[in-house]
Amino acid sequence: MNELEHRLSSKFPKARIISETISNIIGFIVLAVLFWLGYYFDWPAWANWILIGLLLIAVVGTIWSFIEPHYLYRSWRYQIDIEYLQLRYGVLTKEWVTVPMSKIQSVSTSQGPIMRAYQMRSIKVETMGSSHVIPALEEQVALELRARIAELAKLKEVDE
Amino acid sequence: MMRYHPLIILYRIYQLIKNGLILGILLFVVKRDSDFWLLEYGRYVFIVGVLLRVIYIVGSWFVETYEWEERTFQIKKGLFVKHTSTIPFSKIQNVTRHTTLFHKLFGLTSLTFETAMDGDDDAITFQVVSKQHAAFLLELVNVEESQVPKLEKKEQDQHEEEVNEAENKVETDHVIHFEPTNQDLLKASFTSLSFLAIIPIVTGMYDFIEPLLPDSDQYQGVLYQIINSRWLIIMLSIIAVVIAIIIGIVRTFSRYGKYRISSSATHIYIERGLLDETHFAIEKQRIQGLEIEQKLLKRIFGLAEVKLISSASPQSEDYAVSVNSLYPFLPIKRAYQLMEALLPDYHVEESMNRLTKTSLYMKLIKPSWFWIVVTAGLFYFKPTIFQIDAAWWLLSLLLLLIVIANRILDYLHTKYLISDDQLQWWHGGLTSRMFITKRRRVIEMSYSQSILQRIFKLVSISTMNRSTPTRIETINDVPLDFAQTFQHWYLQRQKDTSYQENG
Repeated sequence: MNELEHRLSSKFPKARIISETISNIIGFIVLAVLFWLGYYFDWPAWANWILIGLLLIAVVGTIWSFIEPHYLYRSWRYQIDIEYLQLRYGVLTKEWVTVPMSKIQSVSTSQGPIMRAYQMRSIKVETMGSSHVIPALEEQVALELRARIAELAKLKEVDE
Repeated sequence: MMRYHPLIILYRIYQLIKNGLILGILLFVVKRDSDFWLLEYGRYVFIVGVLLRVIYIVGSWFVETYEWEERTFQIKKGLFVKHTSTIPFSKIQNVTRHTTLFHKLFGLTSLTFETAMDGDDDAITFQVVSKQHAAFLLELVNVEESQVPKLEKKEQDQHEEEVNEAENKVETDHVIHFEPTNQDLLKASFTSLSFLAIIPIVTGMYDFIEPLLPDSDQYQGVLYQIINSRWLIIMLSIIAVVIAIIIGIVRTFSRYGKYRISSSATHIYIERGLLDETHFAIEKQRIQGLEIEQKLLKRIFGLAEVKLISSASPQSEDYAVSVNSLYPFLPIKRAYQLMEALLPDYHVEESMNRLTKTSLYMKLIKPSWFWIVVTAGLFYFKPTIFQIDAAWWLLSLLLLLIVIANRILDYLHTKYLISDDQLQWWHGGLTSRMFITKRRRVIEMSYSQSILQRIFKLVSISTMNRSTPTRIETINDVPLDFAQTFQHWYLQRQKDTSYQENG
């Protein structure tokens, strides 16, 4: 299968690792509070087992969150032409999405504080039944792409 | 400016009584001596609630109005907060006419126009409407744009005349496709599982009669007792089976008797019901796809249910049977014929691609998270069931067997085909489904590949169709080449579609 044209911004892995680390820290704090609550209120054994299970998942998830962004960046491709928006991404499970331009309802860009520091924006495309996000593009690229999709999505199919 | 039929007040009060009856009996009859605070205050709340509701029902009749201009309905609602909504005729997806016993009593009917719009205003319901007016409204909505002036002139004419005209028209261009025979109905009443009602009836009767059984192990011997009660059991079973069959047949006949599926050039019509009559009409071009569903028992009997997938949101509250179902007990060949007759665009192919052996291995190897979680829970709690100590691992084993059987069946049932502008596939384990749609109706496609699937060079394909909620169909573990063919096929979509500038 032929490769799609465009990739994400090369700054994506860095930004992703920072934001994942922040949410991981919050997650660990919540877990610590739960462990303390369990100890203090003497929760039943099964509740502790669930907490231990969550801790294991959290540790594995944290390690993974340092590895994944690089591979995710490498796997991400997108392409638009007059008729379709195509996305391909995924490290463990690969996804390939094809959306006809005429079915796109809205397109928007957004930027959180980390993304702002790296001058990147994400693009969200909403269709009648789903929404898709291109997670990180250079600011200029993102704005151009948004304008382009909005222009192309103007066509509407007869009989709807 | 039109007001709804005055009997709508009576109808709503009747609904109120129907819905509040059980709570009312509970509060004022069964628990009338209880001074539990919840019940005590509940009685006051109930009375106030009912009174307010009655005032609201009567008051809202004066406020709720509707009118139509050119090509739109204007609906006004709200006793305190005024609410006006505009619904263009062109957005109406299907029409349901439902005649309950209440309506029959007064020679009236109810009418619902469903649209594909979001939110609360997505349907126009005339809960009570005279038959003439219903026919008039139907005409109003159905007409072509060019006919509008003509119709407005008609409006002043006698309604009666128009109804006759409409009926004549209906007679001429309708083609009847399916009317169940008594034999079909009998078959249906056995497949609908209503005969399973014998189980509670038998146990109930046995409990009732048990004290009468000879309690006699002292002087007549255990053997005698068993033989004796076995006769009783057999007799009771026969009686129960007969009762169950009769109940099943009566239920099936009242639901599916007088069933008729017909169509004109543009619409599909479904009529059904002996006591509660429902007439359902949907425009053919609104249909996004078709589905055939076969539950285990229906497959054994060679029957299937055909469903229409449309973008209108189904209003299921009052209907015992889903409106989008054509007929739940069609012989499978008949179902195919019916689909093709109703929608000549669709061609049901019988020879389709099957999965390869690798897909079967894939399906068997894939971990079942459901089974793992349930087994972990069973292992931890080790419940005793039916006084058997080892029940937890027996249960786990049973579940595993069901999971495996389901997967093997899924492998056997999965068949897929793309031809011209049409996609068709079968999948599913215990309940299998066929899904068929047109390329231009698929609003999005995607495919995914997990690590395991990558090893076996397999993928899962998903398609999305407009419906409420969005219809997502997935076929698992098809070969990678097919996915590529599929993607290529989907990228040719513009062949079937024509565009217009979105103004």
